[in-house]
Amino acid sequence: MLWVALELPELPLQLLERASESAPPLVVSEGPSQRPIVACANDAAQVAGVREGMTVAAAQALAGSLRCVPRDEAAEREALERLAGWAAQFTSTVSLEPTGLVLEISGSLRLFGGLGKLLAALKGGVRRLGFSATYGVAPTPLAARVFARAEVRGIAVRSCTTLADLPARLAELPLFLLEWPGRTQETLADLGILRARDALALPRSGFAQRFGPQALALLDRLAGRVPDPRVPYEPPARYKARLELPAEADGVEAILFPLRRLLAEMEGTLRGRGAGVQGLDLVLEHPGRRSTRLALAFPTPEREADFILSIARERLGRTELPAPTVALRLVAERLQSCAPRETSWLSGREEKAVGRARLIERLSARLGNPRVFGIALADDHRPERGWRSSNPAPRSAWDGGARPAWLLNRPQRLVAGAAGPSLQGKLDLVTGPERIETGWWDGEPVSRDYFVAANPTGETYWIYRERREPGAWYLHGVFA
Amino acid sequence: MSAVLDPARVPGVWRGGEVDAASPPGVPSGHARLDLELPGGGWPRGALTEILHDGVGLGEVSLLFGALARIAQEGRTIAWINPPHLPYAPALASAGVALDACLVVRPATHEDALWSADQALRSGACGAALFWLPEKTDYAWLRRLQMAAESGKALAVLFRPIGALSQASPAHLRLVVGSRGGNLTVKVPKRRGPPLHTPITLRTPGRPAARVAA
Repeated sequence: MLWVALELPELPLQLLERASESAPPLVVSEGPSQRPIVACANDAAQVAGVREGMTVAAAQALAGSLRCVPRDEAAEREALERLAGWAAQFTSTVSLEPTGLVLEISGSLRLFGGLGKLLAALKGGVRRLGFSATYGVAPTPLAARVFARAEVRGIAVRSCTTLADLPARLAELPLFLLEWPGRTQETLADLGILRARDALALPRSGFAQRFGPQALALLDRLAGRVPDPRVPYEPPARYKARLELPAEADGVEAILFPLRRLLAEMEGTLRGRGAGVQGLDLVLEHPGRRSTRLALAFPTPEREADFILSIARERLGRTELPAPTVALRLVAERLQSCAPRETSWLSGREEKAVGRARLIERLSARLGNPRVFGIALADDHRPERGWRSSNPAPRSAWDGGARPAWLLNRPQRLVAGAAGPSLQGKLDLVTGPERIETGWWDGEPVSRDYFVAANPTGETYWIYRERREPGAWYLHGVFA
Repeated sequence: MSAVLDPARVPGVWRGGEVDAASPPGVPSGHARLDLELPGGGWPRGALTEILHDGVGLGEVSLLFGALARIAQEGRTIAWINPPHLPYAPALASAGVALDACLVVRPATHEDALWSADQALRSGACGAALFWLPEKTDYAWLRRLQMAAESGKALAVLFRPIGALSQASPAHLRLVVGSRGGNLTVKVPKRRGPPLHTPITLRTPGRPAARVAA
C-alpha cells in the first residue's frame, strides 16, 4: 500500500481566489458576528500586515480595500468532495479527510510511469484547478497525512515508500501533527513526550492503560502495525459544481477563466469515472436577477475542458447577459459512458467522424442550429421535396433525369412571350420535357413539364411549364 | 556538365515557362483536359483556389463534382458555406457525391461566413470547403483562409465574380469560368506556371446533351 495525502490549509481562501486571475486583499472571517476574527488571509492581505487571529476591524484598518467573507464550511466540504471526484482519475481509492484527501496509489504507479510522474501530474492538476496543497507520501494513510501536515508547518519530509523506513522518517516529527484529543496531547507533553519516536517507544500496555485503547490504535495505524482501511469517496450520480466569483464580472471574457477551472475539474471527475456528458447546463447567477441558463448539447459524450469551453464561449458570445455575473454553476443530470479519444490509436475514419461532429458542434454553437445542416434525398418526385435537410439518407442514389446543382428555395416566375420564356435573353430548351405529376394525395399536387434551358450567354437553368396554368414558366434550378 | 546544371532536372526547381509537375498531387477533377493544366494534375489540397465567374448556370460548381466525389469517398466532409442557393441533393447524388459527407452552412452575416470557412478548413475534418464570400473580402482574411486550408489539408474553393481578378489574392490557383456554345470554358490566369489565357473547353458537367421532344 502506498498513500498520498493532500492537505489544503488555505481552502477557505481558495474557494474565492481560484475564480479570478488577480488576487485583491481578501480574508475569511470566523467567530461571533459581533467580533469576527481573521481565519485566513491571502498574500495581498498579508503584505498589508493582516495576520490570522486579529479582529476583522483591525484588519480593515490595515488594508483599505479588504474584502471579508465569512467562512462557509459547507462550501469547503463541497469543494473538497469535488476535488475528491476529480482525483478519482488517479486511483479508485480516494477518501475524504476533514482538511484534505488521501489517495491509495500503489495500483496506479505503473499506469502513470512511476511515483515521480504520478505526483507531478497530481500536483500540476491541483495547481491548475486553483488550489494549493501540501503532499505527503507514506505506506499508511495516517503517516501520509502527518507528512503533509508537517509540510504545512514548514517541515519537509521526503516520500517514504516502504514500511521498514517509516519509523525512522516519523521519529523526529512533533506529536501535535497527529489528530489526538487535546487532553492526550497535553498529558504527553507534560511527560516530556513530544516526538513520534518517544511515543512509539512507550510500553504498549502502559500506553493503553493511560491514554485509552483508541490512542494506542491510532499509534498502531500510524506505524502500520494494524491495517487502516478507508472508505472510498462515492461521487453522486449527477454532476453539480458551483463557483462563486470574488467580484462581480462584467461580460463574457471575465467568466472564461473561472469557467475553465470548473470545466477542468469536471473533466478530471468524468475521466475518473470513464464518463462524459451529452447535455450540460451552464448557469450564470446575477445579483437580484434571474439566472442565465445555457443548455449545451453534444452529439457524442464529451468531457475535454478545452473543447467544452470553446463551445460555451461561442454560445456566451451570442447571449445577452442581463447583469454582472456573481457565480457560475455547472449541472449535468446524466453522465454517459465515454471511450477515451484523446489518444491517437483511433482509426483514421473514426477520427474524421469525431472531427466532423466537433466542427458541426462548433458551427452550430455560434450560428444557431437551423443554419447548419446535412442534405439527403427524399423519396418524392416533386423537386422541392426531393431533398431534405438531415442526417443519413435512406435513398442513396438518384436514378431520375438531369438535376441542377442549385435548387431555388421557391420557384420563380419567368417572363414569357409567344416565343417562350426568357431570362437575360431568350431561353433555348436543351432537353425535355420531363413530366412530373404527383402529390395529389397530400394537397400539394404538382403537374409540371421540366426542361433544361440555356440563354445566349450559356447560363443553363432548370425551368418548368406549369400544366395547370397555360403559358406560365418558372425557374426552379441552376446548373451551376 | 550541362545535364547536371539543367534546372529542369533539379528536383524542386521549376522554370517559369512550364507547369510545375513537382507540385504535390491534387485531386483529379474528372476532366483529363483540365487536369493537364492544373499543377499536380488536379485541384490542389491544402491551398486556396478561386473560381471566378460572372453569371450562374455555367457549370461552375459541377466542375468540382469529380473531385468532391473522391473526397467524400475518403470519408472527409465537404462544407458548403454560404451558397447562393441550396445544393440540390439529387444532382449531387447522380454525380456520385456521397450526400452524408455534405454539410451546408448558411451563416446570417458575412463575418460569420468568414469565421465558418476558417473553422471548417482548420478542423481537419473537411476535405473540401466551398464558400461564397462578399466581393470585397480583404486580403488579410483570404490569407487567413489560405493558411487554414494549409493546416487542414483541405481543398478550399472560393467563388467570386470576375471583377475580383484585379485584386491581389493569396490563392495558389485562379480560374476564370465562362461558356461558349453550351460548353464550359476555363482560363487559368494564375497557377504555378505560366498563365493560360487561351481558354480550354470542357463539356459542361451535369448538363445533359441537347434532346428536346417536340
